[in-house]
Parts: sequence; C-alpha cells; structure tokens
Amino acid sequence: MANIAVVLHGPNDLRVESIPVPEIKDNEVLLSMSSVGICGSDLKYWKYGKCGKFSLEKPMIMGHEGSGKVVKVGSGVKHLKIGDRVAIEPGVSCGVCRLCKTGRYNLCPRIFFCATPPDDGNLCRLYKHSAQFCFRLPDHVTDDEGAMLEPLAVAVYSCRKGKVGLGTKLLICGAGPVGILTLMVAKQNGATTVVITDIDETRLALAKSLGADFTIRVSSEKPEQLATNISEILGDHPDVTIECSGTNFGFSTGIYATLPGGCLVMVGRVPGDAEFPLNLAFTKEIDITGVFRYANCYPTALELVSKGVVDVKPLISHRFSLPDSVKAFETASSHDTKAVKVIIECGQN
Amino acid sequence: MANPTVILKKQGEIVIEDCPIPEPKPGEVLLQMQDVGICGSDVHYWQHGRIGDFVVKAPMVLGHEASGVVSKVGEGVSNLKVGDRVAIEPGVPCHTCKNCKIGRYNLCPDMKFCSTPPVHGNLAKFYTHAADFCFKLPDNVSTEEGAFLEPLSVGVHACRRAGVSLGSRVLVCGAGPIGLVNLMTAKANGASEVCITDIDEKRLEMAKAVGADYTVLVKSRDGQEVARQIEEVMGQKPEITIECSGAPPSIQTAIYATESGGCVVLVGLGPADVTLPIVNASVREVDIRGIFRYVNCYPTALAMIASGKVNVKPLITHRFKLQDSVKAFETVAKGEGIKVMIHCA
Repeated sequence: MANIAVVLHGPNDLRVESIPVPEIKDNEVLLSMSSVGICGSDLKYWKYGKCGKFSLEKPMIMGHEGSGKVVKVGSGVKHLKIGDRVAIEPGVSCGVCRLCKTGRYNLCPRIFFCATPPDDGNLCRLYKHSAQFCFRLPDHVTDDEGAMLEPLAVAVYSCRKGKVGLGTKLLICGAGPVGILTLMVAKQNGATTVVITDIDETRLALAKSLGADFTIRVSSEKPEQLATNISEILGDHPDVTIECSGTNFGFSTGIYATLPGGCLVMVGRVPGDAEFPLNLAFTKEIDITGVFRYANCYPTALELVSKGVVDVKPLISHRFSLPDSVKAFETASSHDTKAVKVIIECGQN
Repeated sequence: MANPTVILKKQGEIVIEDCPIPEPKPGEVLLQMQDVGICGSDVHYWQHGRIGDFVVKAPMVLGHEASGVVSKVGEGVSNLKVGDRVAIEPGVPCHTCKNCKIGRYNLCPDMKFCSTPPVHGNLAKFYTHAADFCFKLPDNVSTEEGAFLEPLSVGVHACRRAGVSLGSRVLVCGAGPIGLVNLMTAKANGASEVCITDIDEKRLEMAKAVGADYTVLVKSRDGQEVARQIEEVMGQKPEITIECSGAPPSIQTAIYATESGGCVVLVGLGPADVTLPIVNASVREVDIRGIFRYVNCYPTALAMIASGKVNVKPLITHRFKLQDSVKAFETVAKGEGIKVMIHCA
C-alpha cells in the first residue's frame, strides 16, 4: 500500500505528499489510519508556523487526534493483533524519568508527540506507534469516536485537575469542542450545575442541547460584570471554573467568578498581555492549575464513549478525505462554516 | 573467582559460586558491588524457602539492599558514567502498564525485584542493573549509607502513605530496623512526638538513642491494654500508627491505640490471616492502609541522608566480607544487631 501524508512545509504551505511506509520496532504496531480530527493547535501551526513555545523548523506531518487499524504487530506486542481498531494516544513518554515514574508522563521532557515539532503526526495512510499507547476500540465504537478520544481526554484531565465531583457547580468559559466535551465529562463526574459562556450563539445552542444548565452569551461587558451575571444566574459562585476560551477575558472572569477556595483550571492558552486580578485570586485562595495535554485519561475517555454516556458524534460537523486535507483545514479555521470538529478520513476508498 | 556470587541453592543452603561477569544491556550499567545489607526477607527465604506466594523453585542469588560503583555503561545510558558510586533501587518495573503509568510502579505485575524468586539478587562482586534505577551518591554519602537507602525507602513510603506531617503524633510498633527507619523518617517529616513499642528492652534503648520521644515495653498480648498504656505515656492517642512487627497482637494494638479519624499503616508482615478489631477501626474512621515496598522514594531517602537530616550509621552494627556471607546470615537469623552488611569489593 502506498503511503501519503499531509505535510506542513511552512505557514500556509500544506501539501499532500508521498512518504515511505515506516518500519516498526518490537514494541510498535503499524496502523492503517482511519479518522484524524483537526485541532486548534494544528491551525496555529498552519497559519503561523508555531504554537506556544514550539516552532516549525522542518517539514512536519500533521495530525494527532487519530484512530486506525492494526496491519502489523511488533514481536514484543501481546495485547493487540492485526485487524484491531485502535484509538491512538499521541504522546509517547520515556517511562524512565522522574515525571514518568510519578505518573505525570504528560510532562516528560523527552516525550514524543504527534504533530508537535519536530515529531511527525498521523495524518497519513500508514503510521507506526508504540503499542502501549494504542487502545483497542470495541466493535460498536466508530473510528470517528476513536479519533475524538483525544480532545475528550483533555476534557477528562481538566475535570480531574479541577476536582469536579458530585455536586460541583461549574463554570466553563468557551463553548468550542473542548468546552463542550468538558461540559459532558463534568456531568458524568457528578457536576450538578454547569454554566457555559461564549461569544457565539450557535455554539451555545449546541452546548445547551448537550446538557448545559445555563448558557450566557458574552458581548461587551467587563469580566467582573460577567462574573456577577454568572452568580445571579447560578444562584451561587461556581466552585470550579474551567477556562477553555484561551482569552484574557476568560481568565479574568474565572478569577472574579470562582468561589473563594475554589479552583480555576487553565486549558485555553491566554495571550497574557493584559492586567489580571491576580492578587484577588490569591486572597480568595483560588488555586490556578494548568493543563498540558493529559495523562492516564484515554481509558476513562474510552469508557465514557463505549458505555454510551458521552456522545461525541454531535460535535463532528465536517468530513473530508485525505487528499482534500487543505480544504479541511480551511473549513476548520473559517468562522463562516460554523465548523465544530472537522474529521479527515485517511483510508483509501 | 572472577565474580563470587552468594546463591541460595535451596531452602537452608547458601553457597558462594563463581558466575560469569554480566554484560550491561542497553539502558543498563555494570556495577562493581560495594555493600549489601541483609533483610529479614532474605533470611526468611533461606530458612523457609518461600514468602507467601513467592517460592524458591531454583537457585537464586540473594541480596537487594545494595550499592555499587559503575564499571561499564550500556548503550543509551546518559545519567551515569564509569566511576560513579550509586545506590541501587532493586525493583525494575515494566514502565508501560497502567500501574507504571499512574506512578505506582511498585505494583507493576511484571516487576523484577532482586532476590524475590525467580529474579536474582545483587550479592555478588559484579551485577548489572537498569541505569534509571541507580542513584548517584554525592561525595558525602558512603556506599554503606547507599545500601541503607533501601530500608530507609520503606520508611519514606510508609510515612507518605500514613500522611505524617508537621505536628503529627505517631506511634511506631516494633523497634527493629524497619521500626527505627520509620521513627527517623517520621521525625524528618516533622512529627512532633513519636512513641515506639517493642518486646525487647535493648531495641527500645536504641530507639531512644535515635530520637524516640516515648518507648513502651510490651508485656501483654491484650491490644486494648497496650493501647491504654500508650495513651497514658503519650498523654493522648496518636493520630498515626505505623505497624512494623507483623505480630497480630501488635496489629490489634495499633488499631485500638489510634485516634478516631486517624490512619494505621501496616508495614510488618506476619501470618496471612489476622483477627482484627475491624469494627472498632471502621466506626471510628481509622483508615487501614498497607504498603508494598516503596515507590519514588529513593530520591527522598538519599536527600535525607545527604542533607544530614537522618543518620543511619549507628544502625549498621555488623560487617562481613563476601566470603563470610553465611556467617552474616546466621548473625541476622540469631537476632543479633540491627543492620548487618556484607562488603563485596
């Protein structure tokens, strides 16, 4: 089978090219890729050639939210066989450093991560990966759902970091895919009231249909005012805020809104170039905790989808084939398309 | 002999034989062994041929409390170089299973632990080990202290599982080497008062010398009676009890003695089934937690010794050369001393 991949050469220079079929090591599997989702970080690399502290130095294969089918199994692999469909956790950690050994492998300094420079991603036909980071999908879980486990894992991790539990009153800033998945996971964690904010009415409507108790459309008010509105609607201050908008505004709102002693989970990456009421956060003893990807969340994410308690399918708004990947990226980044999650199908048909 | 190795041939029979000097695999180092301490479990395998489900079915190299000097570095090793003196954490897990990934590698089902059958130990002149489980000793830490990091790690793990912190009032049951490291670690964690019990007056004297605030000589098997004694001596019940003897009357005492809402950590292992005043523990919300070896404790144990926060040297009471290993084991079996060490270099 020939191998083609979607390769980013520089800002706005995405090409579909031929690449070699990879050779697998003893602990790896070769996968025929099925569904790969596009993430906001992928769009940043495409538009700017960088994302956060990572910069594109050489051509890189895109894609990190993927699922595939096992076509070859390394000699040391016991838990997977040819034909198994798997969800691919894109971060492969070293396993031996102090961070890995204490269970925080997402912070491993030597981690390999799909489509974070300089590591190649899995938006291609044939891809190899560590078998220990591939999770077998039961028959009734689709390839698309398998690919969605990646952003769902972010939602699982964020709720864990925020200690969202039974009876939690939760504020989510931002109703994009991550905000909405966080909403659904929070409900499964036992959160009894979830209020979600966004500037986009369509996104809020989707959030409402997927379980939000309250939605608030943000326009021109200041964060402090929005926080007051939230308390009025909730009847209380939220115990936990999970910031998924990536805006200075969302961060500030979280500080003003959260109950003293509560927790503010920073998922979105804020520009950071504004004044923040930090002393207020400190005197309120709000724990501000960061999120970097996830660790030990794929099994839980798979459980949620497999048992049917979280339905990720409504978030998939557009679908393209691998050769049309550039169109897929354009769709994902355009506001007019109202895209939520764009999936690229990598199989040959 | 090029590589004299101390082997438990079968229950009751320890021999010293020459073995080939191993080659370090990728990720491993070859160590010239320095000091190896003897643990109660080593003696138990020698005398009984098994501990629980771990059965000696074939000759097994003994030793797991050890230090060495790096003499060869395997492919891919970047944290160590030839000449480095290291403490050896004896258990190497698979790194990839769920337990390993969540940071509880001590519970890895594929754990390879020195001198737990069928895995060979490190009581030899030369031995290879995973480099990421070898911890470089600073100049001020001796190789004997390096070997002592193993039992000290048990103390670190038990205190962590128990939640010992600043101001804790702790009861340690049993003043053998493990009771003593738990006492010292509890103090290092900021415990304000530590009471220690034992049936042996001499052991209690050593405990006093290394920092016990109170000692109780146990003369009764009645758990409630001993618990009352402890409460009287301490002026109030301890919040945390670390049970290090494994003796059922002592485990019962541990539960009765602990304050409501407190925690009992079981370190000592005795019979598999023990009668416990479980309802007493339950209705007073006294948590009972076990430990299995230790996890992510070696760096802490090393820091404790390197910084001078604990001094384990007084606990090393007997020293033997490798060729006199049988005598060393006999000394431990007789209950003499606290920590017996074998020098392999």
